[in-house]
Amino acid sequence: MAVSVDEAVSTGPARDHPPPARRLGGRSRSVLEVALLTVLAVVMLFPVLWMIETSIKENRDVYAVPAEFFGFTVTMDHFKDVFVGPDGGRSALSVAFLNSILVAGASTVLATVLGVPAAWAYSRFAVKAKKDQLFFILSTRFMPPVVVVIPIFLMYRQVGLIDTKLGLILIYAAYNLPFTIWMMKGFVDEVPAEYEDAAMLDGYTRLQAFRRFTLPLLVPGIAATAVFALIFSWNEFVFAIFLTSSDSVRTAPPAIAGLIGGTTVDWGLVAAASVVFALPVLVFAYLVRKHLIAGVTLGAVRR
Amino acid sequence: MSDPVPLTTDHPGQLASATPPAPVRSRRLSDRGLAVGFISPALLLLLAMSVFPLLWTLFLSFTDYSATRGGPAHFVGFGNYTAILTSAQVHQRALTTLIYVVGAVTLQTVLGFTIAYLISRRTHGRGVLTTLFLVPMMLSPVVVGLFWRFMLDAQFGVINSMLGSLGLGQVEWLTRQRTALISLIVVDTWQWTPFIMLIALAGLTAIPKYLYEAASIDRASEWFRFRTITLPLVWPLLLIAVLFRAIEAFRLFDLVYILTSGGPGVSTETLSFHVYKVAFLGFNTGTASAYGILMVLVVIVLTQIYLRYLNKLKEG
Amino acid sequence: MPGRKVQLATAAMLLVATTVAACGDGQDGGTTASAPKAPATIPELTTDPLTLSFIWFDWPPARALEAFANAEYKKERPNATIKVNTVPNANWHDAMFTQFAARKTDFDIAILDSQHIGEAVTNGNILDITDFVKNNIDVTAYNPYLLAAYGQYPQAETGKRDENASLYGLPLLGDTWTMIYRKDLIGDKPPQTWDEMISVAERCQAEHPGVSGLAFHQANGSDAAAVTYNTVNGVYGGNLWDAKARKIEGVLNDAAGQEAMDVLVNKMKPLTAKGSGNWFIDEVNAAVAQGKACIAFNWIAASGGLLDPLQSTLGATREQILDKLGFATLPSQKTNLVPLGGMGMHVSAYSPTANQAEALNFMRWFERADIQKKWAAAGGVPSRTDALESPEFLNAGPFNQVYADSVPRMRDMWNVPEYARLVDIENTGVNAALNGAKKPKDALDDIARQQQDVLDSSSRKGGGGL
Repeated sequence: MAVSVDEAVSTGPARDHPPPARRLGGRSRSVLEVALLTVLAVVMLFPVLWMIETSIKENRDVYAVPAEFFGFTVTMDHFKDVFVGPDGGRSALSVAFLNSILVAGASTVLATVLGVPAAWAYSRFAVKAKKDQLFFILSTRFMPPVVVVIPIFLMYRQVGLIDTKLGLILIYAAYNLPFTIWMMKGFVDEVPAEYEDAAMLDGYTRLQAFRRFTLPLLVPGIAATAVFALIFSWNEFVFAIFLTSSDSVRTAPPAIAGLIGGTTVDWGLVAAASVVFALPVLVFAYLVRKHLIAGVTLGAVRR
Repeated sequence: MSDPVPLTTDHPGQLASATPPAPVRSRRLSDRGLAVGFISPALLLLLAMSVFPLLWTLFLSFTDYSATRGGPAHFVGFGNYTAILTSAQVHQRALTTLIYVVGAVTLQTVLGFTIAYLISRRTHGRGVLTTLFLVPMMLSPVVVGLFWRFMLDAQFGVINSMLGSLGLGQVEWLTRQRTALISLIVVDTWQWTPFIMLIALAGLTAIPKYLYEAASIDRASEWFRFRTITLPLVWPLLLIAVLFRAIEAFRLFDLVYILTSGGPGVSTETLSFHVYKVAFLGFNTGTASAYGILMVLVVIVLTQIYLRYLNKLKEG
Repeated sequence: MPGRKVQLATAAMLLVATTVAACGDGQDGGTTASAPKAPATIPELTTDPLTLSFIWFDWPPARALEAFANAEYKKERPNATIKVNTVPNANWHDAMFTQFAARKTDFDIAILDSQHIGEAVTNGNILDITDFVKNNIDVTAYNPYLLAAYGQYPQAETGKRDENASLYGLPLLGDTWTMIYRKDLIGDKPPQTWDEMISVAERCQAEHPGVSGLAFHQANGSDAAAVTYNTVNGVYGGNLWDAKARKIEGVLNDAAGQEAMDVLVNKMKPLTAKGSGNWFIDEVNAAVAQGKACIAFNWIAASGGLLDPLQSTLGATREQILDKLGFATLPSQKTNLVPLGGMGMHVSAYSPTANQAEALNFMRWFERADIQKKWAAAGGVPSRTDALESPEFLNAGPFNQVYADSVPRMRDMWNVPEYARLVDIENTGVNAALNGAKKPKDALDDIARQQQDVLDSSSRKGGGGL
């Protein structure tokens, strides 16, 4: 039962229109449903809107009681503070953002480079105990980070990887690898093996067949997978806070968390930093919206 | 369970049948080499970064080793394990974690399914609606935790402000035993309801229309159709989502760290948070390792259920 | 069968793990026992560019130190740059001690809380600078207890210094609690006794709706709630422990201790704002700055922001704010004890030799009389008596006189290796009592019992740290 994404969408005849509202009160019921949906949407989105609103408020309005929803003075100062330090130089937060870009980017590349060939091999070849291997791979992803960080810490201190970007990159790559393999295996499964077989009959080796015929077809899948890996690494907090401590290595999540607990809390700055931090994720998530289900279930569930 | 819930599958033995018979031997060999060469780097990284550390933890869990105090580690047999399993402190954290996991996952499931059901009945704007609902899930737990802490502030938080304009009194969201745990559950629910919604929506949209049509010919009631068609067909997929969330919720650390840091007192300390304290406050690495191994055992059991079930779904 | 292979692999891994762990232990065994000694005289300093790194938590004094040191120390040592790494307060202990545990630090000078010294010394993480101090520092220039509190281990008796004990650090920043009161609400004269303070706060709260009587640290993180209880405990004549007998149970929760807990939970807590049960430094500051508290308690080193008109609703200028805010030493009751805050400088045992030499040189420079006065003028709190009495210090801030007056009244917590766990137990216990999760008496008895357990647990097999 090999089911591809496209097939799945078409077999489940995605109900383009709901079952016709039948019988009495079809309309009023529909109105009720829309109203309920609207309420739920407002509830779910309110915190995000409030965050954006707080990020453009002056601090005195931030603390206003009762809360001010409209009619406050708009300021972009908090966004300036995210990038520009009090001394006019680069702020610690902006360094942390750069670190995040580097760490998330490098770990994603590593996970992709290791994961895509492995996924292809798992999909194409009769590997011994394949199912066990695949399940083992996925289960490593479910380990509680707080538990994993203890031995990783001991291991890193032996090899000098504590408080280094390389250390974070490695652990994030290992963290994303199971996901990459599972997700990519799904995409490889969708590319008929016959393409490669045909190419090989034409004299190409298996590797050439993979490179020249399968790989190009996988590019959209790789992009989607990489984006999810990127999001995971970007948002990760536990490893970051326990394995790094210096400003030059720290990534954005611990840096943003560190905005709380000085001598004054600048919620406007926290909100602005959060908005800046979340924006790329939302853009990326939008780009891969077709693969969201597979993405958030580590490639285990696909549609 | 076949068409309604399409999932990926292996291609069992596809290779054997697809390979032309003639140059079998040499090609087989190179295939094998290719497979090994392609798979082993990934497995090596996982062995180095996941398996080896775990085995090390297992070894340390039988010792009184401390990462800071140095000195040789003494074997204490199962001392750490018995101490943990009999500790009232641990029992308290286990109960907190259980309440949290059950509360959060139940709430998410009900809400997530409701939203998915409502969306699936809409004709227009489904894509936009889905995308909007998904925003919370994409945010970092750090951002979510910090921001909810701000909104739940008893003095100037917007939640109390709104309650106030409704004529209700201030609620101490994060500093009372019961409300703090509820707040934790609410915030987690806010962030992860979209997850359940997304998967439920996938299940709902995959239900073949003819089933409903057949039912409507039978003049079956709406509730009857929901109970006999919708729910049974979506349930398997929904269960996957629920199990997945349960595992994630069981591991929860960052939200607690930021929202309540376990307070008031220790009433919102989850198992993960307690492990952290044992490991990094007292640096009782041996005890923390045993604690971690026990948590991993729970996760392994949950994961096994999850994976077995997933497997069954795929083969069903 | 894959099963067998897995078993084999597992066995092999376990063997490797054991070996590696054993190797690690071997190394640890070599360096431990006691802290390594710093040279008695400062070795020759490098002329190459060198960055001297500190680690502290993120608060204004950290920024003040970096600016001050780069401006002033550079005059002495043009090739040296000072970098003060900061981490979130909640992560401060973990960040330093995980690096110590890693035997590799990205800092040369750790700014330890006074109570961290025991843990660092026992683990051999910081240098023993006893001989260095003998040769380079004029110990008579200090109140002996300040020198002891930020450097000595084992811990000194409150108010004293044991001249035969080893020293592991020198004072960087002195600190204690100041009482911050609203002159416009309760009058110019600060309350003198704890009881009076409570009744004044009560009256103020009743007369001014929307303003709470008191604001103080109640959070369960860092040492927030613990310091609050310890302060009240001291004022009401209690003791944290019997250091000689290593006894907490029965000492902390004796009659005086119980009275202190009762005062804190039943008399003081009702005067605080709703939902203030997780407040720490910044929340208390925010409450004062927004005019929401009659009387507040906070660390002096963290109070500078209160005078910043940009963050305050109390006035448009520093003078207007000072018309409303008064700063005073803590009221006394049965005793006049106040909490000792602040931190010392400690040289990391894992930093390169050249940096350790530079660190020692920096410390000698920093403790010079003229530099201490400049540090005071730059917003720091010095420790040398001459600097504390200098106009440079006393005129630098309205709370500096409070500090100078508080020095002879200070008491510290335990600075044993188990400090991190003791303070966590106390924090969570006091926080639970303050927020109604536990009855005050039960909370205090639980704290005493659990802390005693920690002190006694060294002999137990397995399960340490639960």
